[in-house]
Amino acid sequence: MNIIEYLEPAALIILGSLAVSIIGIVFGLLFKGIDRKLSAHMQGRIGPPIIQPFRDVRKLFVKENIIPHTAIPWIFNLAPIMGLVATITILLYIPLGGFQPIASMGPFGDLILVLYLLIIPSLAMVIGGFASGSPYTIVGAQREMATMIAYEFPLAIVIIAIAYRLYLLGDPQLGSVFSLATIAENPVWSISGPFGYIGFGILLLVLVVVTPAELSKIPFDSPEAETEIAGGLLAEYSGRNLAMFYLTDGVKTFVMASLIVALFFPYNLSILLGLQGIPAITVDIIFFLVKVFLVVLFSVTLVRVAVARLKIDQIVSTYWIYLTLIGLIGLIFVIWDQYLSAMLFA
Amino acid sequence: MFSIITESGFWNPIIWVLSFIVIFLIMYILRSFGNNKFKKQGEKTKVFLSGNPEYASDDMHIKSSNLYWGFTKVLDWVYTVLKRMHNGDVRDYILWFVIIMGTLLLLGVML
Repeated sequence: MNIIEYLEPAALIILGSLAVSIIGIVFGLLFKGIDRKLSAHMQGRIGPPIIQPFRDVRKLFVKENIIPHTAIPWIFNLAPIMGLVATITILLYIPLGGFQPIASMGPFGDLILVLYLLIIPSLAMVIGGFASGSPYTIVGAQREMATMIAYEFPLAIVIIAIAYRLYLLGDPQLGSVFSLATIAENPVWSISGPFGYIGFGILLLVLVVVTPAELSKIPFDSPEAETEIAGGLLAEYSGRNLAMFYLTDGVKTFVMASLIVALFFPYNLSILLGLQGIPAITVDIIFFLVKVFLVVLFSVTLVRVAVARLKIDQIVSTYWIYLTLIGLIGLIFVIWDQYLSAMLFA
Repeated sequence: MFSIITESGFWNPIIWVLSFIVIFLIMYILRSFGNNKFKKQGEKTKVFLSGNPEYASDDMHIKSSNLYWGFTKVLDWVYTVLKRMHNGDVRDYILWFVIIMGTLLLLGVML
Protein backbone atom coordinates (compact mmCIF):
# COMPACT_ATOMS: atom_id res chain seq x y z
CA MET A 1 0.00 0.00 0.00
CA ASN A 2 1.30 3.45 -0.94
CA ILE A 3 0.45 5.62 2.07
CA ILE A 4 1.10 8.85 0.14
CA GLU A 5 -1.58 7.97 -2.41
CA TYR A 6 -4.04 7.42 0.39
CA LEU A 7 -3.22 10.61 2.29
CA GLU A 8 -4.56 12.95 -0.39
CA PRO A 9 -8.18 11.70 -0.39
CA ALA A 10 -7.98 11.38 3.40
CA ALA A 11 -6.95 15.04 3.75
CA LEU A 12 -9.68 16.10 1.34
CA ILE A 13 -12.24 14.08 3.29
CA ILE A 14 -11.18 15.77 6.54
CA LEU A 15 -11.47 19.23 4.98
CA GLY A 16 -14.70 18.22 3.28
CA SER A 17 -16.12 16.99 6.59
CA LEU A 18 -15.43 20.38 8.15
CA ALA A 19 -17.00 22.14 5.18
CA VAL A 20 -20.19 20.06 5.13
CA SER A 21 -20.55 20.44 8.91
CA ILE A 22 -20.66 24.21 8.53
CA ILE A 23 -22.77 24.14 5.36
CA GLY A 24 -25.24 21.63 6.78
CA ILE A 25 -25.79 23.44 10.06
CA VAL A 26 -25.90 26.99 8.67
CA PHE A 27 -28.19 26.26 5.74
CA GLY A 28 -30.22 23.73 7.69
CA LEU A 29 -31.09 26.30 10.33
CA LEU A 30 -31.59 29.00 7.68
CA PHE A 31 -34.13 26.93 5.77
CA LYS A 32 -35.80 26.02 9.04
CA GLY A 33 -36.18 29.74 9.75
CA ILE A 34 -37.50 30.42 6.26
CA ASP A 35 -39.98 27.56 6.67
CA ARG A 36 -41.25 28.98 9.97
CA LYS A 37 -41.54 32.50 8.53
CA LEU A 38 -43.43 31.37 5.43
CA SER A 39 -45.76 29.07 7.34
CA ALA A 40 -46.55 31.94 9.71
CA HIS A 41 -47.47 34.23 6.82
CA MET A 42 -49.62 31.48 5.32
CA GLN A 43 -51.47 31.31 8.63
CA GLY A 44 -51.93 35.08 8.85
CA ARG A 45 -49.19 35.54 11.46
CA ILE A 46 -45.99 37.56 11.34
CA GLY A 47 -43.80 34.73 12.50
CA PRO A 48 -40.34 34.71 14.05
CA PRO A 49 -37.32 36.23 12.28
CA ILE A 50 -35.49 33.94 9.88
CA ILE A 51 -32.50 33.69 12.24
CA GLN A 52 -34.73 32.46 15.08
CA PRO A 53 -33.46 28.83 14.82
CA PHE A 54 -29.91 30.10 15.50
CA ARG A 55 -31.23 31.89 18.59
CA ASP A 56 -33.10 28.75 19.62
CA VAL A 57 -29.88 26.71 19.46
CA ARG A 58 -28.04 29.35 21.46
CA LYS A 59 -30.82 29.36 24.05
CA LEU A 60 -30.81 25.56 24.29
CA PHE A 61 -27.07 25.55 24.91
CA VAL A 62 -27.66 27.74 27.96
CA LYS A 63 -30.44 25.58 29.40
CA GLU A 64 -29.85 22.74 31.82
CA ASN A 65 -29.21 19.32 30.35
CA ILE A 66 -31.57 17.31 32.58
CA ILE A 67 -31.22 13.53 32.56
CA PRO A 68 -34.27 11.71 33.96
CA HIS A 69 -33.63 9.18 36.71
CA THR A 70 -35.20 6.44 34.54
CA ALA A 71 -32.85 7.14 31.62
CA ILE A 72 -29.74 5.20 30.63
CA PRO A 73 -27.32 8.16 30.75
CA TRP A 74 -24.67 7.12 28.25
CA ILE A 75 -27.21 6.20 25.53
CA PHE A 76 -29.36 9.22 26.40
CA ASN A 77 -26.36 11.52 25.86
CA LEU A 78 -24.86 9.69 22.89
CA ALA A 79 -27.98 9.34 20.73
CA PRO A 80 -28.39 13.03 19.79
CA ILE A 81 -24.79 13.52 18.73
CA MET A 82 -24.72 10.25 16.77
CA GLY A 83 -27.85 11.29 14.88
CA LEU A 84 -26.40 14.69 14.02
CA VAL A 85 -23.03 13.32 12.93
CA ALA A 86 -24.59 10.62 10.72
CA THR A 87 -26.86 13.21 9.08
CA ILE A 88 -23.92 15.48 8.28
CA THR A 89 -21.93 12.59 6.74
CA ILE A 90 -24.70 12.19 4.14
CA LEU A 91 -23.80 15.60 2.70
CA LEU A 92 -20.42 14.21 1.61
CA TYR A 93 -22.18 11.95 -0.90
CA ILE A 94 -24.71 14.43 -2.34
CA PRO A 95 -23.89 16.96 -5.08
CA LEU A 96 -24.12 20.39 -3.46
CA GLY A 97 -24.17 23.79 -5.14
CA GLY A 98 -23.82 22.37 -8.63
CA PHE A 99 -20.55 20.58 -7.78
CA GLN A 100 -19.80 16.89 -7.76
CA PRO A 101 -20.11 15.22 -4.33
CA ILE A 102 -17.03 15.53 -2.15
CA ALA A 103 -16.89 11.74 -1.95
CA SER A 104 -16.93 11.36 -5.74
CA MET A 105 -13.10 11.55 -5.95
CA GLY A 106 -13.15 7.78 -5.59
CA PRO A 107 -15.67 4.93 -5.33
CA PHE A 108 -16.52 6.05 -1.81
CA GLY A 109 -20.30 5.94 -1.66
CA ASP A 110 -23.41 5.78 -3.78
CA LEU A 111 -27.15 6.32 -3.50
CA ILE A 112 -27.70 3.04 -1.65
CA LEU A 113 -25.32 4.25 1.05
CA VAL A 114 -27.30 7.52 1.29
CA LEU A 115 -30.47 5.46 1.69
CA TYR A 116 -28.94 3.56 4.60
CA LEU A 117 -27.45 6.66 6.21
CA LEU A 118 -30.86 8.39 6.12
CA ILE A 119 -32.10 5.75 8.57
CA ILE A 120 -29.50 6.57 11.22
CA PRO A 121 -30.86 9.95 12.43
CA SER A 122 -34.35 8.49 12.92
CA LEU A 123 -32.83 5.44 14.59
CA ALA A 124 -30.84 7.70 16.92
CA MET A 125 -34.07 9.43 17.94
CA VAL A 126 -35.73 6.05 18.50
CA ILE A 127 -32.83 4.85 20.66
CA GLY A 128 -32.86 8.15 22.54
CA GLY A 129 -36.59 7.79 23.09
CA PHE A 130 -36.25 4.25 24.43
CA ALA A 131 -33.29 5.28 26.59
CA SER A 132 -35.35 8.07 28.18
CA GLY A 133 -37.45 5.57 30.11
CA SER A 134 -40.71 7.52 29.92
CA PRO A 135 -44.03 6.13 28.62
CA TYR A 136 -44.48 9.10 26.29
CA THR A 137 -41.02 8.71 24.80
CA ILE A 138 -41.47 4.98 24.31
CA VAL A 139 -44.75 5.51 22.48
CA GLY A 140 -43.09 8.19 20.35
CA ALA A 141 -40.15 5.90 19.60
CA GLN A 142 -42.49 3.07 18.57
CA ARG A 143 -44.39 5.44 16.29
CA GLU A 144 -41.14 6.64 14.75
CA MET A 145 -40.13 3.03 14.03
CA ALA A 146 -43.50 2.34 12.44
CA THR A 147 -43.21 5.50 10.32
CA MET A 148 -39.70 4.53 9.20
CA ILE A 149 -40.87 1.06 8.19
CA ALA A 150 -43.77 2.61 6.30
CA TYR A 151 -41.95 5.21 4.17
CA GLU A 152 -38.91 3.10 3.23
CA PHE A 153 -40.93 1.10 0.68
CA PRO A 154 -41.99 3.99 -1.61
CA LEU A 155 -38.56 5.60 -1.16
CA ALA A 156 -36.89 2.42 -2.39
CA ILE A 157 -39.23 2.31 -5.40
CA VAL A 158 -38.16 5.84 -6.42
CA ILE A 159 -34.45 4.98 -6.11
CA ILE A 160 -34.83 1.74 -8.07
CA ALA A 161 -36.79 3.49 -10.83
CA ILE A 162 -34.04 6.07 -11.36
CA ALA A 163 -31.28 3.47 -11.29
CA TYR A 164 -33.18 1.16 -13.64
CA ARG A 165 -33.78 3.94 -16.17
CA LEU A 166 -30.05 4.63 -16.24
CA TYR A 167 -29.38 0.91 -16.57
CA LEU A 168 -31.68 0.74 -19.62
CA LEU A 169 -29.40 3.19 -21.41
CA GLY A 170 -26.91 0.34 -21.69
CA ASP A 171 -23.96 2.72 -21.87
CA PRO A 172 -20.76 0.98 -20.63
CA GLN A 173 -19.13 4.40 -20.04
CA LEU A 174 -21.90 5.43 -17.70
CA GLY A 175 -20.44 4.11 -14.47
CA SER A 176 -22.53 2.78 -11.63
CA VAL A 177 -26.24 3.53 -12.03
CA PHE A 178 -26.46 4.18 -8.27
CA SER A 179 -23.74 6.82 -8.33
CA LEU A 180 -25.10 10.29 -7.55
CA ALA A 181 -22.46 11.84 -9.80
CA THR A 182 -23.75 9.70 -12.71
CA ILE A 183 -27.37 10.58 -11.93
CA ALA A 184 -26.48 14.30 -11.79
CA GLU A 185 -24.73 14.08 -15.17
CA ASN A 186 -27.69 12.22 -16.72
CA PRO A 187 -30.87 13.94 -15.51
CA VAL A 188 -33.89 11.65 -15.69
CA TRP A 189 -35.85 14.14 -17.80
CA SER A 190 -33.11 14.11 -20.47
CA ILE A 191 -33.04 10.33 -20.88
CA SER A 192 -36.78 9.63 -20.85
CA GLY A 193 -39.59 9.78 -23.35
CA PRO A 194 -43.13 11.06 -22.74
CA PHE A 195 -44.14 8.03 -20.65
CA GLY A 196 -40.95 8.42 -18.66
CA TYR A 197 -41.94 12.02 -17.89
CA ILE A 198 -45.26 10.78 -16.52
CA GLY A 199 -43.53 8.06 -14.53
CA PHE A 200 -40.88 10.32 -13.06
CA GLY A 201 -43.48 13.00 -12.37
CA ILE A 202 -45.38 10.45 -10.31
CA LEU A 203 -42.19 9.33 -8.56
CA LEU A 204 -41.25 12.94 -7.78
CA LEU A 205 -44.65 13.35 -6.16
CA VAL A 206 -44.03 10.18 -4.13
CA LEU A 207 -40.65 11.48 -2.95
CA VAL A 208 -42.19 14.85 -2.05
CA VAL A 209 -44.73 13.00 0.14
CA VAL A 210 -42.00 10.80 1.69
CA THR A 211 -39.98 13.89 2.72
CA PRO A 212 -42.25 15.16 5.53
CA ALA A 213 -42.25 11.66 7.06
CA GLU A 214 -38.44 11.52 6.92
CA LEU A 215 -38.36 14.87 8.69
CA SER A 216 -41.24 14.07 11.11
CA LYS A 217 -43.23 17.05 9.91
CA ILE A 218 -47.01 17.43 9.82
CA PRO A 219 -48.97 15.38 8.76
CA PHE A 220 -46.48 12.62 9.62
CA ASP A 221 -45.21 13.98 12.94
CA SER A 222 -47.09 11.40 15.00
CA PRO A 223 -43.83 10.35 16.75
CA GLU A 224 -43.35 13.91 18.04
CA ALA A 225 -46.99 14.86 18.53
CA GLU A 226 -46.73 17.81 20.91
CA THR A 227 -50.43 18.00 21.59
CA GLU A 228 -50.87 14.28 22.04
CA ILE A 229 -47.84 12.64 23.64
CA ALA A 230 -46.13 15.77 24.98
CA GLY A 231 -43.34 15.84 22.45
CA GLY A 232 -43.03 12.08 22.02
CA LEU A 233 -39.51 10.80 21.83
CA LEU A 234 -38.05 14.24 22.60
CA ALA A 235 -40.19 14.75 25.72
CA GLU A 236 -37.34 14.17 28.19
CA TYR A 237 -34.63 15.97 26.20
CA SER A 238 -33.50 19.46 27.15
CA GLY A 239 -30.47 21.70 26.94
CA ARG A 240 -27.59 20.80 24.67
CA ASN A 241 -28.93 17.30 23.90
CA LEU A 242 -32.14 18.83 22.57
CA ALA A 243 -29.99 21.33 20.66
CA MET A 244 -28.25 18.41 18.95
CA PHE A 245 -31.60 16.95 17.88
CA TYR A 246 -32.74 20.41 16.78
CA LEU A 247 -29.63 20.71 14.60
CA THR A 248 -30.23 17.19 13.27
CA ASP A 249 -33.70 18.22 12.16
CA GLY A 250 -32.36 21.28 10.35
CA VAL A 251 -29.50 19.41 8.66
CA LYS A 252 -31.78 16.53 7.63
CA THR A 253 -34.17 19.03 6.01
CA PHE A 254 -31.27 20.36 3.97
CA VAL A 255 -30.11 16.80 3.17
CA MET A 256 -33.52 15.61 1.92
CA ALA A 257 -34.09 18.71 -0.17
CA SER A 258 -30.57 18.45 -1.66
CA LEU A 259 -31.21 14.79 -2.45
CA ILE A 260 -34.42 15.59 -4.33
CA VAL A 261 -32.62 18.33 -6.25
CA ALA A 262 -29.74 15.94 -7.07
CA LEU A 263 -32.09 13.18 -8.26
CA PHE A 264 -34.60 15.22 -10.22
CA PHE A 265 -33.22 18.73 -10.82
CA PRO A 266 -29.41 18.54 -11.07
CA TYR A 267 -29.20 21.26 -13.73
CA ASN A 268 -26.77 24.19 -13.53
CA LEU A 269 -27.72 27.69 -14.62
CA SER A 270 -24.16 28.71 -15.53
CA ILE A 271 -24.20 26.46 -18.62
CA LEU A 272 -27.39 28.13 -19.87
CA LEU A 273 -25.96 31.60 -19.26
CA GLY A 274 -22.58 30.71 -20.75
CA LEU A 275 -20.68 31.70 -17.62
CA GLN A 276 -17.31 30.43 -16.47
CA GLY A 277 -15.05 30.72 -13.45
CA ILE A 278 -16.17 32.52 -10.28
CA PRO A 279 -19.42 33.97 -11.75
CA ALA A 280 -20.43 30.46 -12.84
CA ILE A 281 -19.74 29.01 -9.40
CA THR A 282 -21.67 31.85 -7.72
CA VAL A 283 -24.69 31.50 -10.02
CA ASP A 284 -24.72 27.69 -9.59
CA ILE A 285 -24.62 27.92 -5.80
CA ILE A 286 -27.43 30.48 -5.71
CA PHE A 287 -29.49 28.42 -8.18
CA PHE A 288 -28.94 25.30 -6.06
CA LEU A 289 -30.13 27.13 -2.92
CA VAL A 290 -33.20 28.40 -4.78
CA LYS A 291 -34.04 24.84 -5.85
CA VAL A 292 -33.57 23.58 -2.29
CA PHE A 293 -35.82 26.37 -1.03
CA LEU A 294 -38.55 25.43 -3.53
CA VAL A 295 -38.36 21.77 -2.50
CA VAL A 296 -38.64 22.73 1.18
CA LEU A 297 -41.53 25.06 0.36
CA PHE A 298 -43.60 22.46 -1.49
CA SER A 299 -42.71 19.33 0.48
CA VAL A 300 -42.58 20.74 4.02
CA THR A 301 -44.04 24.23 4.45
CA LEU A 302 -47.14 24.03 2.26
CA VAL A 303 -48.02 20.54 3.40
CA ARG A 304 -47.68 21.22 7.13
CA VAL A 305 -49.78 24.34 6.93
CA ALA A 306 -52.52 22.77 4.84
CA VAL A 307 -53.24 19.50 6.62
CA ALA A 308 -53.65 18.07 10.08
CA ARG A 309 -51.71 15.26 11.72
CA LEU A 310 -52.41 11.71 10.65
CA LYS A 311 -52.76 8.80 13.05
CA ILE A 312 -50.10 6.11 12.92
CA ASP A 313 -52.40 3.62 11.14
CA GLN A 314 -53.25 6.32 8.60
CA ILE A 315 -49.54 6.94 8.06
CA VAL A 316 -48.97 3.23 7.46
CA SER A 317 -51.86 2.99 5.01
CA THR A 318 -50.72 6.17 3.22
CA TYR A 319 -47.27 4.74 2.55
CA TRP A 320 -47.75 0.98 2.38
CA ILE A 321 -50.93 1.03 0.30
CA TYR A 322 -51.52 4.28 -1.56
CA LEU A 323 -48.02 5.59 -2.13
CA THR A 324 -46.61 2.14 -2.86
CA LEU A 325 -49.28 1.58 -5.51
CA ILE A 326 -48.74 5.04 -6.98
CA GLY A 327 -44.98 4.49 -6.92
CA LEU A 328 -45.34 1.13 -8.67
CA ILE A 329 -47.47 2.77 -11.37
CA GLY A 330 -44.73 5.34 -11.84
CA LEU A 331 -42.13 2.57 -12.00
CA ILE A 332 -44.17 0.73 -14.65
CA PHE A 333 -44.35 3.88 -16.76
CA VAL A 334 -40.57 4.26 -16.46
CA ILE A 335 -39.91 0.61 -17.37
CA TRP A 336 -42.26 0.69 -20.35
CA ASP A 337 -41.12 4.14 -21.46
CA GLN A 338 -38.68 2.74 -24.02
CA TYR A 339 -41.16 0.33 -25.57
CA LEU A 340 -44.26 2.51 -25.44
CA SER A 341 -42.51 5.60 -26.77
CA ALA A 342 -40.94 3.61 -29.63
CA MET A 343 -44.34 2.04 -30.45
CA LEU A 344 -46.42 5.18 -30.40
CA PHE A 345 -43.97 7.80 -31.60
CA ALA A 346 -41.80 5.85 -34.06
CA MET B 1 -8.19 0.71 -1.53
CA PHE B 2 -10.74 -0.74 0.89
CA SER B 3 -13.56 0.18 -1.49
CA ILE B 4 -16.28 -2.43 -1.85
CA ILE B 5 -17.20 -2.34 -5.53
CA THR B 6 -19.96 -4.48 -7.00
CA GLU B 7 -21.76 -4.33 -10.31
CA SER B 8 -24.58 -2.39 -8.66
CA GLY B 9 -22.78 0.00 -6.36
CA PHE B 10 -19.75 0.91 -4.32
CA TRP B 11 -18.80 1.99 -0.83
CA ASN B 12 -15.63 2.71 1.09
CA PRO B 13 -16.28 2.13 4.81
CA ILE B 14 -12.89 3.55 5.86
CA ILE B 15 -13.65 6.94 4.29
CA TRP B 16 -17.06 6.99 5.98
CA VAL B 17 -15.59 6.08 9.36
CA LEU B 18 -12.87 8.71 8.93
CA SER B 19 -15.41 11.41 8.09
CA PHE B 20 -17.64 10.19 10.95
CA ILE B 21 -14.76 10.55 13.42
CA VAL B 22 -13.85 14.03 12.17
CA ILE B 23 -17.44 15.27 12.27
CA PHE B 24 -17.98 13.60 15.66
CA LEU B 25 -15.02 15.55 17.06
CA ILE B 26 -16.36 18.81 15.61
CA MET B 27 -19.85 18.22 17.00
CA TYR B 28 -18.47 17.07 20.35
CA ILE B 29 -16.55 20.34 20.64
CA LEU B 30 -19.68 22.25 19.62
CA ARG B 31 -21.73 20.35 22.19
CA SER B 32 -19.19 21.06 24.89
CA PHE B 33 -20.10 24.77 24.63
CA GLY B 34 -23.49 23.81 26.04
CA ASN B 35 -24.40 23.68 29.70
CA ASN B 36 -23.54 20.20 31.01
CA LYS B 37 -24.83 20.63 34.52
CA PHE B 38 -28.21 20.61 36.18
CA LYS B 39 -29.28 20.95 39.79
CA LYS B 40 -30.83 17.71 40.98
CA GLN B 41 -33.50 19.33 43.06
CA GLY B 42 -37.21 18.93 43.31
CA GLU B 43 -38.88 16.81 40.68
CA LYS B 44 -36.62 17.78 37.79
CA THR B 45 -35.38 14.26 37.15
CA LYS B 46 -38.84 12.71 37.25
CA VAL B 47 -40.32 11.81 33.87
CA PHE B 48 -43.02 14.08 32.49
CA LEU B 49 -46.44 12.46 32.76
CA SER B 50 -48.68 15.51 32.11
CA GLY B 51 -49.64 15.65 35.79
CA ASN B 52 -50.80 12.02 35.89
CA PRO B 53 -49.76 9.99 38.94
CA GLU B 54 -46.63 7.89 38.54
CA TYR B 55 -47.39 4.21 39.04
CA ALA B 56 -44.99 1.32 39.43
CA SER B 57 -42.93 0.66 36.32
CA ASP B 58 -44.72 -2.64 35.67
CA ASP B 59 -48.07 -0.82 35.60
CA MET B 60 -46.77 1.88 33.25
CA HIS B 61 -45.02 -0.56 30.96
CA ILE B 62 -45.64 -0.03 27.24
CA LYS B 63 -45.76 -3.35 25.44
CA SER B 64 -43.46 -3.69 22.46
CA SER B 65 -46.39 -5.22 20.59
CA ASN B 66 -47.85 -1.68 20.43
CA LEU B 67 -45.25 -0.99 17.76
CA TYR B 68 -47.12 -2.87 15.08
CA TRP B 69 -50.62 -1.78 16.00
CA GLY B 70 -50.59 0.56 12.99
CA PHE B 71 -49.75 -2.32 10.65
CA THR B 72 -52.25 -4.78 12.11
CA LYS B 73 -55.01 -2.15 11.94
CA VAL B 74 -54.32 -1.29 8.31
CA LEU B 75 -53.79 -4.89 7.21
CA ASP B 76 -56.66 -6.21 9.33
CA TRP B 77 -58.30 -7.74 6.26
CA VAL B 78 -55.14 -9.81 5.63
CA TYR B 79 -54.67 -10.86 9.24
CA THR B 80 -58.33 -11.91 9.60
CA VAL B 81 -57.94 -14.35 6.73
CA LEU B 82 -54.54 -15.53 7.97
CA LYS B 83 -55.82 -16.08 11.54
CA ARG B 84 -58.69 -18.20 10.20
CA MET B 85 -56.24 -20.27 8.17
CA HIS B 86 -54.01 -20.88 11.21
CA ASN B 87 -56.38 -23.31 12.92
CA GLY B 88 -53.61 -25.43 14.51
CA ASP B 89 -54.30 -28.48 12.32
CA VAL B 90 -51.02 -29.65 10.78
CA ARG B 91 -52.85 -31.40 7.95
CA ASP B 92 -54.24 -28.07 6.72
CA TYR B 93 -50.75 -26.54 6.79
CA ILE B 94 -49.36 -29.43 4.75
CA LEU B 95 -52.27 -29.06 2.31
CA TRP B 96 -51.35 -25.39 1.76
CA PHE B 97 -47.71 -26.36 1.36
CA VAL B 98 -48.64 -28.92 -1.32
CA ILE B 99 -50.93 -26.44 -3.12
CA ILE B 100 -48.26 -23.77 -3.25
CA MET B 101 -45.50 -26.19 -4.29
CA GLY B 102 -47.76 -27.51 -7.04
CA THR B 103 -48.53 -23.99 -8.26
CA LEU B 104 -44.83 -23.08 -8.34
CA LEU B 105 -43.95 -26.25 -10.23
CA LEU B 106 -46.71 -25.58 -12.74
CA LEU B 107 -45.50 -22.02 -13.23
CA GLY B 108 -41.96 -23.30 -13.61
CA VAL B 109 -42.99 -25.76 -16.28
CA MET B 110 -45.10 -23.20 -18.15
CA LEU B 111 -42.44 -20.51 -18.12
